[in-house]
Amino acid sequence: MDRMGAIIDLQSRLAGTGYVADRGLAATLLLMADLGRPLLIEGDPGVGKTEIAKALARVRGTRLIRLQCYEGLDTYNALYEWNYQRQLLAIKRAESGAVVLDDDALFSETYLLKRPLLEALTQAVPPVLLIDEIDRADAAFEAFLLELLSDYQVSIPEMGTVAAVSIPLVILTSNGTRDLSDALRRRCLYHFLDYPSFEKELTIVTARLPGLPARLAAQIVEFAHGLRRLDLKKKPGIAETLDWASALLGFGLASLDAAEPEQIRDSLSALLKTREDVLALDRTAISRLVAMAG
Amino acid sequence: MESALAARITGFVATMRANGFAVGLDEAEDTLRAAEYTGVLAREPLRWAWRGLLCGRADEWHRFDELFDSYWRPPNKTKLVESRTGGGKQLALDESSAAAGGKAGPAIQSADGDAAGISEGDASKGGASAASSLETADFRTLTDPEQTRAIETLIRRFARRLKHLKTRREQAAKAGARLDLRRTLRRGIAAGGVPARLSYRAPRRIQPRLLLLLDVSRSMSLYSFFYLRVARALQAELPDIHVFLFHTRLTHVSDALSDPDPWRAQERLQILSAGWAGGTRIGECLADFNRRFAGRLVHARTAVILASDGYDTGESGLLGRELAELAGRARRIVWLNPMKAVPGYAPLARGMQEALPSIDLFAAGHDLASLGTALTGLMDAL
Repeated sequence: MDRMGAIIDLQSRLAGTGYVADRGLAATLLLMADLGRPLLIEGDPGVGKTEIAKALARVRGTRLIRLQCYEGLDTYNALYEWNYQRQLLAIKRAESGAVVLDDDALFSETYLLKRPLLEALTQAVPPVLLIDEIDRADAAFEAFLLELLSDYQVSIPEMGTVAAVSIPLVILTSNGTRDLSDALRRRCLYHFLDYPSFEKELTIVTARLPGLPARLAAQIVEFAHGLRRLDLKKKPGIAETLDWASALLGFGLASLDAAEPEQIRDSLSALLKTREDVLALDRTAISRLVAMAG
Repeated sequence: MESALAARITGFVATMRANGFAVGLDEAEDTLRAAEYTGVLAREPLRWAWRGLLCGRADEWHRFDELFDSYWRPPNKTKLVESRTGGGKQLALDESSAAAGGKAGPAIQSADGDAAGISEGDASKGGASAASSLETADFRTLTDPEQTRAIETLIRRFARRLKHLKTRREQAAKAGARLDLRRTLRRGIAAGGVPARLSYRAPRRIQPRLLLLLDVSRSMSLYSFFYLRVARALQAELPDIHVFLFHTRLTHVSDALSDPDPWRAQERLQILSAGWAGGTRIGECLADFNRRFAGRLVHARTAVILASDGYDTGESGLLGRELAELAGRARRIVWLNPMKAVPGYAPLARGMQEALPSIDLFAAGHDLASLGTALTGLMDAL
């Protein structure tokens, strides 16, 4: 199969799991496995960054191991920790003479608590490792991660070096709350995920909500696109569009223009998440958007 | 892979470098590997593969397609063959393979006037206004050693004493109120499980982020350079600081200001400063800031320092609203107003009146001594 065929094949398999990806993204996901490089995905909140990892894991039929980053994340929570309680119990048991315990036995895998990163390195089948919102972790952790992602091995002082059993497929996501280092950016493949085009979002909405009337689906997506063009504090992402669509589906409407203005205004809380945005979108603005959505 | 083709690909990588893409040796090698996986005859898969590989940030992502097309699409081929500039290996001249001829394309400036060297295209993005002046400022005195030295001394002192804020996250500490059970047990294992030495945890302390919003309108022209020098000195000392200039529109100048080469810093500021010393629209600039940057740059440990005289020509009410919003996000708002040093000054300007409810510290900061007082006040408040 030539490359384009492989790309289209991956694209359709991704679609089969409910994730609509463009070909560029599918090509990057293929290349990621070829080159053994991590993939860094940036984009506004709600455009489906995290979903990529989930879909990829489903397509490849492997485990998804997720590390959610936060400020102050350290190696104990990301990599490994010793199970002290069990170690102490083992020592007590050895003291009573029941078993013989030497250092190697005490610091063996039995007493090791694997955290996501180590877990991902020790899988026989390469898993998908999702490092979510890497920008929330601090710079020191980022440097540590960079080392891990180039060597795929970690050193545990008591045990020695643990090399990866298989190279995981690493996907990092960032919302841009902090600028990432150039070194990490260079190490990774990069994909910028934009708000979806009209066709793509329509495909997503109809794939997720098959019961939605075609006309209403098109209008909802057009409405969401209109909202994103407005000057809002928080632009609605795909998840918001889907929420709103299912809210409208609950009303049992056939199209937006059949809806009462109150129904639209009440359900808009699924799309608009700040008070300013709700205030900015008054009656006339809503009816204009509905008219534009046709 | 054929060497002529490899050379042409290497030329492409050189073009990307010339256009400001940070492409390392590893990536250059992987470009060839990616081409082998993808096959060199399929243009779009190649584009996608290389875009993922060579781009590192969003602005590069958006420029990539243009550069790719101009290098690889047929209309440019002949032109590229003519300009044999830079990059690539020496080619054996072969008249039958004209297509494989060019070694490197020219460095292309993107069409919207986003000159290389300015990473933020803010200067060209903001809307022009009737009130903005067309003159650009003279930045030669920005790095004048005499004036700079005194400022740097003060700033260094400030930076050293800048209190590290307590956070809710904890880390290991030599002494403290809370016992670190994990570490105590861990160290106790060496003594057979007897916790001989105790470990403690204490809140992590981190430096706050500083955000400087400097008014460079005409009414502030006496002080603009003073504040810019302060900003440059602060930026040299503190890791987490962002500087914005505003007049009738807002410009992010952190990158330009922190350029280690003073000449280049001047040049970059020169380009960014279109509209310098014009009118002031504080409210609109703050609104612009809140919309574009606040979500990303302002968190609960950010101190916002605003230097302005508060003479706002924008719509009334906007300044107060937007500053209140910013105050909600930030930890402290400090407003430096040089006019406060004038005897008998009262903050009666409409802008000041609107701003006062949201300000935590209102100080003069018109010279080094008063700036020192203000910064000390800020440190105590943080």
